[in-house]
Amino acid sequence: MNPLELTLGVMTAVGGFVDISELVFAAKAGSLFGYALIWAFALGTIGIIVFSEMSGRVAAVAKQPVFNLMRHRLGLKLGLVTLAASVLSTLITCAAEVGGMGLILHYLTGVPYLLMAALSTVVLMATMWVLPFKWIERTYGLLGLLMISFAAALVAIHAPWGKIAGGFVPHVPGGLSTKEMLSFGYFIVAILSAVLFPYETYFYSSGGIEEQWGPKDLGTNRVTSIVGMSLGSLLAISILANSAQLFGPANVGPEIPGSAALEVAIPFGRTGLLLALLGMLFAIAGAAVETCMANAYSVAQFFGWEWGRHRKPWEAPRFTVAWIAFFLISLALVLTGIDPMNLVEYAVLFSILVLPLTYLPLMLLANDKKYMGQYVNGRLAKSLGWLFFAIITAAAAAAIPLYVLTSGGQG
Amino acid sequence: MKPSGPIKLVAELLDLPIMDKDGRYCGIVDDVELSGSAGKEMRLHALLVGPGAYEGRLPGWAFAVTRMIAGNRITRVPVNQIEKIHTVVTLKCRAEQAGLNAVENRVRGWIPKVGAM
Repeated sequence: MNPLELTLGVMTAVGGFVDISELVFAAKAGSLFGYALIWAFALGTIGIIVFSEMSGRVAAVAKQPVFNLMRHRLGLKLGLVTLAASVLSTLITCAAEVGGMGLILHYLTGVPYLLMAALSTVVLMATMWVLPFKWIERTYGLLGLLMISFAAALVAIHAPWGKIAGGFVPHVPGGLSTKEMLSFGYFIVAILSAVLFPYETYFYSSGGIEEQWGPKDLGTNRVTSIVGMSLGSLLAISILANSAQLFGPANVGPEIPGSAALEVAIPFGRTGLLLALLGMLFAIAGAAVETCMANAYSVAQFFGWEWGRHRKPWEAPRFTVAWIAFFLISLALVLTGIDPMNLVEYAVLFSILVLPLTYLPLMLLANDKKYMGQYVNGRLAKSLGWLFFAIITAAAAAAIPLYVLTSGGQG
Repeated sequence: MKPSGPIKLVAELLDLPIMDKDGRYCGIVDDVELSGSAGKEMRLHALLVGPGAYEGRLPGWAFAVTRMIAGNRITRVPVNQIEKIHTVVTLKCRAEQAGLNAVENRVRGWIPKVGAM
């Protein structure tokens, strides 16, 4: 393990952890239910660590990214259904990220939101064209580290650490009405979906192959997954805890990303506001790139095209056309005038439905000794994998009824 | 695994990605061509690659949509061009020599070759 590469990898994972859905749901969850949903973030984080580590290990050993496995394991018909559902959910997520960037740039500059969304898309496409994979990943991941300002704000407001620690223990707050209970259930599902977004695994495993991982990189894979994602999750939990402390008691509903930035503005003033907005901007930009690339990876891998951004754009031409098309379709969705917060809702809803189909083939391959040899899932990875598979399947089954019954968490 | 040995078609071959001798992805095993007859020994004759090979694997309406979008070309890759079958099918030759990557190469012409690091 090269210590510099490892540190950069971990920092990139930390800075790239939070996206617009986590931002919005963390702030709303804290305001509505105090610290009671911290455990949902912690649970989802263990899940994404388990599946990311597994997908990175499969990429390093079997040299296969998730979508190649999916088609081989699920077959053409079910594979196509999964591809279509996954592309749709990730496309909506990408549109939500592009819309989020437009909103934040609007807060920062006052220029109309739609114009800023279009400008963001052009800049994202230019960086995707110019920079090779490692630089794309690191640029946005490292700039996203400005999100640490949310953790600093939590310290500055003298957060009730005992209550925050209590939030890590799964529980349902007392005194909730039936409607509020359903809304609490909806938030659990939405948080699990936002933390376990399928695009993260597609991007992570394809990234491992872009960087030509082999068995010697399994240590890096493990440390990046466990440390990077745990620390990244703490940033999301900081947003929730700040919201519980600052917004909940004042009955403020942080419905838009700008409200979350106030969490840092309250203790640190104008500088804090600027740092929070920039951190959010880069974290969301990183997620926009990841979602768009994940979609292009999925389609290219499913149909056996050349793919990857370690190659020049003309060396993987259909992959290049795919990511350009996905960015343009995402922008077109935003330009229809649809509220980006609605896109966030749809993204988490669609994603949780796709999750079981994403993780099943991955589990099957990581459990297969013929392909994985000595790196096959051990007892712990196997048990955790099936446990989380059961959890996400239950969450997927509950998602639509809860969405309808609560009007998208409105109660 | 060698293509001449015993093979479980669905579990070990169908829908695997194909890579040429230079390590470039150049398609998926969309179907296979077998010689022999039912009840007797059957031998793998060729891999079939391309959307035309989806016929019979997809419901009629889905195949019609696929044909409208992607056409119905099929490329036949003879078994003697296969080097190895594992998590990918590796070819002994370049993609172009096996008749693969025609669309990839056509689309390459649309992409400006400037500006990328």
